Amino acid sequence: MAKIKLENVSFFYGKGTAYCKEALKNVNIEIKEGSITGLIGHTGSGKSTMLQLLNGLSTPGEGKVYLDGVDIWEKPKEIGKVRYRVGLVMQYPEYQLFEETVEKDIAFGPKNMGLSNEEISERIREAIDFVGLSPDVLQKNPFDLSGGQKRRVAIAGVIAMRPEVLVLDEPAAGLDPQGRDVILDGVFKYREKTGATIIIVSHSMEDMARLCDDIIVLSHGEVVLHGTRDEVFSESQMLERIGLAVPQITLLMHELSARGIKVNNGIYTESAAVEEIARLMKGTK
Amino acid sequence: MKSISLGQYYAVDSPIHRLDPRIKIVLAVLYIVIVFLCSNIASMALLLVSALVIVLASNIPIKIVLKSVKPILFIIAFTAIINIFWTKGEGAPLLDLGFIQIYSKGIVNAIFLVTRIFVLIVGSSILLTYTTTPISLTDGIERLLGPLKKIGLPVHDFAMIMTIALRFIPTLMEEADKIMNAQKARGADFTNGSLIQRAKALIPILIPLFSSSIRHALDLATAMECRCYRGGEGRTRMKILKCRASDILALVAVIAFGVAIVCINIFAAPYLPF
Repeated sequence: MAKIKLENVSFFYGKGTAYCKEALKNVNIEIKEGSITGLIGHTGSGKSTMLQLLNGLSTPGEGKVYLDGVDIWEKPKEIGKVRYRVGLVMQYPEYQLFEETVEKDIAFGPKNMGLSNEEISERIREAIDFVGLSPDVLQKNPFDLSGGQKRRVAIAGVIAMRPEVLVLDEPAAGLDPQGRDVILDGVFKYREKTGATIIIVSHSMEDMARLCDDIIVLSHGEVVLHGTRDEVFSESQMLERIGLAVPQITLLMHELSARGIKVNNGIYTESAAVEEIARLMKGTK
Repeated sequence: MKSISLGQYYAVDSPIHRLDPRIKIVLAVLYIVIVFLCSNIASMALLLVSALVIVLASNIPIKIVLKSVKPILFIIAFTAIINIFWTKGEGAPLLDLGFIQIYSKGIVNAIFLVTRIFVLIVGSSILLTYTTTPISLTDGIERLLGPLKKIGLPVHDFAMIMTIALRFIPTLMEEADKIMNAQKARGADFTNGSLIQRAKALIPILIPLFSSSIRHALDLATAMECRCYRGGEGRTRMKILKCRASDILALVAVIAFGVAIVCINIFAAPYLPF
């Protein structure tokens, strides 16, 4: 069964004013339980708007959002429970840290859930491990950490709620390659260990190709493509038309096969490409 | 949050929109003085007509203008009631309930007062906030206060502070919105609980907001220094304010209107009931 389902969802900014803008138009998607789904689209295509609908931070103008087959707005008073089940990490989450110590900040979510102290401290250790930080940062002041470390603390703050669905809005934006890898690996590990469903927004097609099972492409508030990674990245021309791209190395493979060299089109990493080309070279000898 | 508009500037084109902001500030002050000069029914009527003329000349829908009066409706109603019940007039009261007497003078006073406040708000908001962008308003204030530089007041710096403050209101509101959403996503609850609990719930918003305003201030200061900002000394302007014929005309018209009101006050008063 679909973990999350959007049915005929539309969303408007400034409804009823002269500046009314339709940010999402009649979106219908289903997200499989336990999958990692990538959400791509150019700036202003409605990605962040869509994420905020998933945990009930905004209400759809039209249509319904289902979590495990239940309309999340069925009992508006219990929307808080939905927010614990669908953990959202917003863009640049490091700016939301506020506590004196990292430990207290990560504890904010679990405390709001009303968990016992033992449970909370266990979750903190677990969360900090997922994002690859050592336990000695727990007593530090979050404002003394580096940008990448702050980001990881903020993500740990959401992971500590053990959400069934983890939603991340550009978790790696503005980080160096190593910082990016640590965060994305942490997300992957979280899925492996808990079986959670992951939804992730990124502008890096390389990251998306490496990480995601399924990909949703948004353009001007509409879903233009939704399929497995291989299906979506085989539409390189379509993606380029709406201002996106396939990973560089995949593009190379597409170009090679367009010139009559028989390579596998579904290649997304440099190492796979090296193997593929080595295989071809051996064949020609 | 998104629906809060900054100031009330209403972007249409009109003769009033095109006036020089300095002139508009002077006009608004003059108009406020005139509002308080009106003392009898004829000058009050003329004042209402003038307010209507200003509204029509500004091309702003009447509905929007009336919206600006809404927040002070309570004050208007309150002053009207106080005036009706507490003014002691001459002769017999219109209504005598023993503990409360209503005199005709009280009612007249209330009507005058309500008209004054109403015209005051409508007139000054149309002349200033509805038709002038906050930036050109501060520009106008800076120029009008220019002479104070001679006695050592840092007029330019004040104006710059105001401009920056205005510029950052929407930025900080957006930021507050984002932080609120982020904390809500972690289960923060801002609407339920006792007063103390709700005040405590604001800490997770205020601390990140303060830290980011300081960050913005530092970044902005660096950016301004990179572009060689060093105060008002020798600084030229992109928009040079110019007084045109229409500005002079508006000024003359308002002064003439003021003179007319004073004349009516003096010469028509003996023939009017109040």
